[in-house]
Amino acid sequence: MSTAQRAKAKRPRTFDEARAMASSSSELGWWVFMRISGMLLVPLAFIHLWANNMAFNAGEIDFAYVVARLQQPGVRIFNSFLLLFAMLHGVNGLRYSIEDYVRRPERRFLWKMILFTVAGIIFIFGVMTLWAFTYEEMGSAVRALGSE
Amino acid sequence: MYRGREGQWAFVLHRISGVAVALFLLLHVIDISLVMFGPEGPFEAFLVFYHNWPFRVGLIAVIAAVVYHGLNGLRIIVMDFTSWGVRYQKPMWYGVLGLTAIIGVPVLWKIVPEILRGA
Repeated sequence: MSTAQRAKAKRPRTFDEARAMASSSSELGWWVFMRISGMLLVPLAFIHLWANNMAFNAGEIDFAYVVARLQQPGVRIFNSFLLLFAMLHGVNGLRYSIEDYVRRPERRFLWKMILFTVAGIIFIFGVMTLWAFTYEEMGSAVRALGSE
Repeated sequence: MYRGREGQWAFVLHRISGVAVALFLLLHVIDISLVMFGPEGPFEAFLVFYHNWPFRVGLIAVIAAVVYHGLNGLRIIVMDFTSWGVRYQKPMWYGVLGLTAIIGVPVLWKIVPEILRGA
């Protein structure tokens, strides 16, 4: 391997190297975002896991438990940050995997579009669950749909 | 198969744990959003599936993946943004593995008996 090739194959290790290697300014932005969101996600995800697996028996989680938790404003705000950063960080990470392992450009594009569509819909579900309705309203609205 | 050194394995585990956690995240947001359908909705049916012992063992794996991915992510940040991080990447990786194992002890101590009692 020539020196030039080795330099090309190297992972960026500093901000300057990442800037020099990034194919576009948006890729550089995502490189920075992964690190900032990653730092935020360590406490967010660890506290989330603690609250639901260590402070509580996850095997006893039921409808009432979830509703009681999600009705607390603090939990809603905490979970909103967790949802936002985890979705962006996770979906971008999955995108990296698609870029790395799906070789054919048209398939790569297709997989990314499927990922973004599915993730976008799921993200909207998450936001709705946290903010859009009370569970009584939502429950009766959905039942009304079925009874028509 | 190419069997790399520590940095290679750190990357492979980071990639596998990251993909696993991201896929679980998508599933997890879907299952929690089922509460929108009310107490008679599909949420409880989903929980029966979640409370099966194989799935609970899987959840322990998800916790392990989150812990490893988070701690190794901090190692990557140290490597990227300090002058000394790359020099100490190897001992830091062993630190990540050790800390993941240490955190695993109380997690297993609490959750494994819960699973055994439930099964």
